[in-house]
Amino acid sequence: MKRIDAIVRPDKVDAVKASLLALGITGLTIVEARGFGRQKGHTETYRGAEYSLDFLPKLLITLLVVDELLEPAIAGIMENARTGHIGDGKIFVTSLDEVIRIRTGERGQLAI
Amino acid sequence: MLDALVEHPRRWMLKALIFLVFAQIASGSTSVALAQQPQPDPAGIATGDKSAVSDAAGNPLVIAEPTDKTTPDYEQSKEAFDDYQAQAAKEPIALRLADSVGHMRIATNFSWTLLTGYLVLFMQAGFALLTCGLVRKKNAAHLMMLNFAAYVFAFLAYYACGFAFQYGGTAINAAPSNLGGTPTLNHFLLGRGLWGILGGKGFFLSGPGYDAGSLCLTLFEVVFMETAGYIIVGAICERITFWAFLLCELFIGGILYPVFGCWVWGGGWMSQLGTTMHLGHGYVDFAGSTVVHGIGGFCAMALAVILGPRLGKYGPDGKPRAFPAHNLVFVVTGTFILLFGWMGFNPGSTLGASDLRISVVAVNTNLAAVAGSAAALLLWYFMFGKPDITMACNGMLAGLVAITAPCAFVSPSSAVIIGILAGVLVCLGVLFNERVLKVDDPCGAISVHGYCGWLGAVSVGLFADGTYGAGWNSVGVASYLGKAGQGVTGLLHGDSSQFLIQVAGATLMAVYSFGFTYVVFRMVNSVRSMRVSQEAELSGLDVPEFGMVAYPEDAVELLAAGSQQQGA
Repeated sequence: MKRIDAIVRPDKVDAVKASLLALGITGLTIVEARGFGRQKGHTETYRGAEYSLDFLPKLLITLLVVDELLEPAIAGIMENARTGHIGDGKIFVTSLDEVIRIRTGERGQLAI
Repeated sequence: MLDALVEHPRRWMLKALIFLVFAQIASGSTSVALAQQPQPDPAGIATGDKSAVSDAAGNPLVIAEPTDKTTPDYEQSKEAFDDYQAQAAKEPIALRLADSVGHMRIATNFSWTLLTGYLVLFMQAGFALLTCGLVRKKNAAHLMMLNFAAYVFAFLAYYACGFAFQYGGTAINAAPSNLGGTPTLNHFLLGRGLWGILGGKGFFLSGPGYDAGSLCLTLFEVVFMETAGYIIVGAICERITFWAFLLCELFIGGILYPVFGCWVWGGGWMSQLGTTMHLGHGYVDFAGSTVVHGIGGFCAMALAVILGPRLGKYGPDGKPRAFPAHNLVFVVTGTFILLFGWMGFNPGSTLGASDLRISVVAVNTNLAAVAGSAAALLLWYFMFGKPDITMACNGMLAGLVAITAPCAFVSPSSAVIIGILAGVLVCLGVLFNERVLKVDDPCGAISVHGYCGWLGAVSVGLFADGTYGAGWNSVGVASYLGKAGQGVTGLLHGDSSQFLIQVAGATLMAVYSFGFTYVVFRMVNSVRSMRVSQEAELSGLDVPEFGMVAYPEDAVELLAAGSQQQGA
């Protein structure tokens, strides 16, 4: 079992969601996130004074997959979230020790 | 108690004296015997009779008997009076009809004045949204509370003494004839005749102030005072303690605003300089560029100087940092509510719908607003590459502030020019305050209301075209500049003395408001700091000062409120 956390542009989330649903994933959580990468945001002016917009708005998509679905899911995200410009985001993959469904108490792959 | 009286006779005498003085002021009968005084009309059934009837040009129906035989036109006046008497004797029913026509005229003017007053009241909501939107989110509840408390506490101060100081002597030189003349407000506490300094009747709106005409004036004027009261919020927010703010509001509503208001609108000395010193029509400010906005703006400046800039506003190199607005939707909505309220502010200042100049005033006010906004928006676009929404809004308000004094005296094209000048001035003023003076003004109140208020009064002296205001402040009733019916006239139309008095008067306003506020609140600040603690300022004032956050999405605990274990 793997957990995928993908930081994507907010306007890409629909396309990413559609591709993941097509793979047959059973759930998806998103969080509004802000952050910067190597470019470190950009500057704007407000009433004549400059300020930097470091933390740009992104969406953090979290989903759980069985091992076999990991590579197809990554491919789906890559294909749909990518513009080729700075700020496309990142994907983190971590191993899952346990998943539990609160309502039924099911564990492991049954609970994904 | 008797023992105490014997032991401390001086203290008791002092107390008795203070009580007597207070009672005298409250009863409004300090100098003249009560029997000769005009009686107040609380029911409104004696206000407005045939003496209020006039034709479109303002010629009265009732002609008074001339008393001074030495005046050159005595014979002519006597003849007119005799004619009127003869006509009246022939047609008594016409006189009774004239009584009801006069009452209807006053009633129409009451409706207009009260309704426009309600519009001005609504500006309070506009200003609350505007200033709240312009600050950081962590201070949103603080801003809302300041705007709210400004209305409440300044109103009470104005009720207690502000109205009496401002209008207690208005019937002497500046009787509002559109509202029946308020004959009971006829005493100056300080100064006399053409040199009134402080009004002296109508304290606590009782006695002479408990009168239908007088209270109509009160409603309209109290919302004007509130405007000056909430202007300061824009410059002192995000760092002032709540108790200090309440003191500021009592000071503005009770003293600062009414004193200058008396000088210009209450028949005081500045308004009479045309008669006493032959300076144009005296100092003219139609709806309050200086009386309201200038006073508020420069008071705000003094307070902002005393408080100092917000933490982190200036870097170690002295460069200003931006603290961007947190809600531009509020800013724009608030600005449009203010524009809407201004449709009461300026046209309402005729104090009557029987003055048909109101349409000119309304159009001029709107024109200056859009011209000011366009000028500020385009100038910013040009200077910084992107138009700034908040500066476009400031530009609209700047145009409104600047047209407030001249709106009745200028043509629509002059209104556009005044708006453009104000739009440019407000941009330069904001940059000047932030970069040169280093006075931190989060919402631009000093530039919008102070600098553009000054510009507004000066604009009267420049652009007034003489088509309106004949006999203003009792100057040129018969003719002015050799022309019958010539009104207030500016430099560009041939009256340099008007320009002179406008520049001098507006500058005096700035010095008075800044100086008076600075002296008083320097002292307050030396007793106890008016500024919040550093920790409170950094965390935002909402929770340290008021125990609440402004927005529901910030109140995570509130989602769980009520879900705890229930008690017995």
